[in-house]
Amino acid sequence: MKKTFKAFIAFFILAITLLIPTQSVHAEDGSLERVKENGELVIGTSADFPPFEFYAEVDGEQEIVGMDMAIARKIAEDMGVELVIRDMEFDSLIPALEASNIDMIVAGMTPTAERRKSVNFSDIYYQTFQNIMVRAEDEGIYDSVDSLRGQKVGVQTASLQEQLAQQIPDVELMQLGNINDLILALQTNRIEAVVMQGPNAVAHAENDNTLYTFEGDFELDEEDQGSAIAMRMGEDSLAAAVNDSLGEILENGLIEEYLGTAGEYMAGSTDGDEETSESFVGTYWSYFADGMYVTLLISVISVLVGMVLGFFLSLMRLAKNIVLRLIASSYVEFVRGTPLMIQVMFIYFGVGVFFDLPALTAGIIAVSLNSGAYICEIIRGGLNSVDSGQSEAARSLGMSKNQAMRYILFPQALKNIWPALGNEFITIIKESSIVSVIGVGELIFQTRIVRSASFKGILPLFVTMIIYFFLTFTLSKILNYFEGRMNHD
Amino acid sequence: MISVKHLKKSFGKNEVLKDINEEINQGEVVVVIGPSGSGKSTFLRCLNLLEEPTDGEIVFEGTPLTGLKEQDLNQLRQKMGMVFQQFNLFPHMTVQKNLTISPVQSKGTKKELAEEKAGQLLKQVGLGDKLEAYPASLSGGQKQRVAIARALAMDPDVMLFDEPTSALDPEMVGEVLNVMNQLAKSGMTMVVVTHEMGFAREVADRVLFMDDGYIVEQGTPDEIFQNPQHPRTKDFLAKIL
Repeated sequence: MKKTFKAFIAFFILAITLLIPTQSVHAEDGSLERVKENGELVIGTSADFPPFEFYAEVDGEQEIVGMDMAIARKIAEDMGVELVIRDMEFDSLIPALEASNIDMIVAGMTPTAERRKSVNFSDIYYQTFQNIMVRAEDEGIYDSVDSLRGQKVGVQTASLQEQLAQQIPDVELMQLGNINDLILALQTNRIEAVVMQGPNAVAHAENDNTLYTFEGDFELDEEDQGSAIAMRMGEDSLAAAVNDSLGEILENGLIEEYLGTAGEYMAGSTDGDEETSESFVGTYWSYFADGMYVTLLISVISVLVGMVLGFFLSLMRLAKNIVLRLIASSYVEFVRGTPLMIQVMFIYFGVGVFFDLPALTAGIIAVSLNSGAYICEIIRGGLNSVDSGQSEAARSLGMSKNQAMRYILFPQALKNIWPALGNEFITIIKESSIVSVIGVGELIFQTRIVRSASFKGILPLFVTMIIYFFLTFTLSKILNYFEGRMNHD
Repeated sequence: MISVKHLKKSFGKNEVLKDINEEINQGEVVVVIGPSGSGKSTFLRCLNLLEEPTDGEIVFEGTPLTGLKEQDLNQLRQKMGMVFQQFNLFPHMTVQKNLTISPVQSKGTKKELAEEKAGQLLKQVGLGDKLEAYPASLSGGQKQRVAIARALAMDPDVMLFDEPTSALDPEMVGEVLNVMNQLAKSGMTMVVVTHEMGFAREVADRVLFMDDGYIVEQGTPDEIFQNPQHPRTKDFLAKIL
């Protein structure tokens, strides 16, 4: 038994490894041609990082702007192709690159030795510096790396700063994925300092007078001080084209110009620092509205698809045929037994290897497949709870199995499963937030944008909480209404 | 009309019907009696294949039921009405819909015709005013009368009753037996599993006594009740009368 289990695990890992192509697939370098043929350059970024990449209103539209984006635009122009920007969590960028969801990463990424093992970096286009961010009242108390001895310090997960912070003696690290959460942790006294990339730290401190930042006296490797563009291993022709464009940018001193423009956008987005919560909602309402729309879209489609899928799965689970039963129950057990987040990433990145699936579509597919498994169990339970006499009565009247299911069993099961189905719907509205990891602009994702654009930590969370509650409460009222109408007892 | 040959039925290792041979003739009212666990209900449920026989043959109007395709079986079941101990009305439908759903869906009867017929049948069982009621608002006796009307709505050639009064409060037994009495008088072929010995005596053409998976003894009501031959029949009747 143990042996077969081990063999199964080994087989499973082997199968997965075979599914994910190794870098050698790209050894024949047609990368530049491919981009030109597609007519678009797809870049990945993590747009919560002013002044490099962040959201701002441009001619009434929300757009990702910043120095990195200006550079990316220039590179695309030089290649004669359209620029397409995919926004996602910083952690997801390298997987997305490897899965061919994007052509390159332009995200102020530092070419550390660790990262060089898995991706191909361009020349360094920007020499940066590393800052320490503290609360304004601690200005003077903390002034160097050593002064933070033994303190709790926040860093972004998987970042260069995470490594640098190790230079603080006896440091206790708090790792979070989102810079805004780190700053919130700092402001609420959970940590004493945050190690951040210099320009980003300066941008935050300028927009929030409770923060103070200074350049940290870290020991830096030469290569740790710059930002570069990441591409897949072996895509040398693409890298050469990128380096040509970067060379031109440096030669003409365009970086300063780009940073200047970025600064203007930042100033624009934080007009009126003393705004009340009302005008906050007014300013950022379009983000929340967009997020709400996408969240509802994902939830409604996923529940509907999940219901159809779940219905057929439940019929399979109740079938006489053992093969059908086995397929359905394996599916249900596997999907229920693995985290939705991994399913979302697996479908987006895994399928991305074969063809380009938009993140929203991938997210909807993953959530639908997931909810199908749960709804299968809900429907199966509902059908089982209908008294067997009902089916006997229907069959003895000469109804076919299908007719009995459609007119007699399912309507009664529906009454039983309605509350559980409603529960599942509400769960999905909340759980769909997980698709933000692949950059789908649903409510949680938009909240992240608002937090970085507004330099406010808590207020956007509060607004989002209210919106979620509004959605789920309205839904449960609607469901209750229909439940009441089904009651004939 | 129904011919049963060497019928056997087991649930797992438990052999419930051991070797049943029986002929039910057109227009006959056959009452099946016997102690609990004797196989009466299983026998009845085998007649319309709600239970799949383990062995043996059931021929209904010249067609063997075992090994029949699903679709053909459904056709034949339309001609065999069945009434259950627990009524099994469809709780999510009005009384009228209970009566019309199967004629409309499985026989393709026009809705207006089915509704007209439902109205007549409900009047016949004394529930002409309950068309729009839901089953939950009816008493047990009323439910069972609706269930009988529902089976009749399919125009069956034979009616099977599986302990139709056993789940009723005593004061409601009479109204259901009355309806069954009328039905018998109208010439309907009926097979009735029951503990109502009065009904058996009064209405049955033939009484079957079952015990331990066999039909132990059968005859007219007079023969069975006045002069039982088999010791187990005597024993059973002594206990309940």
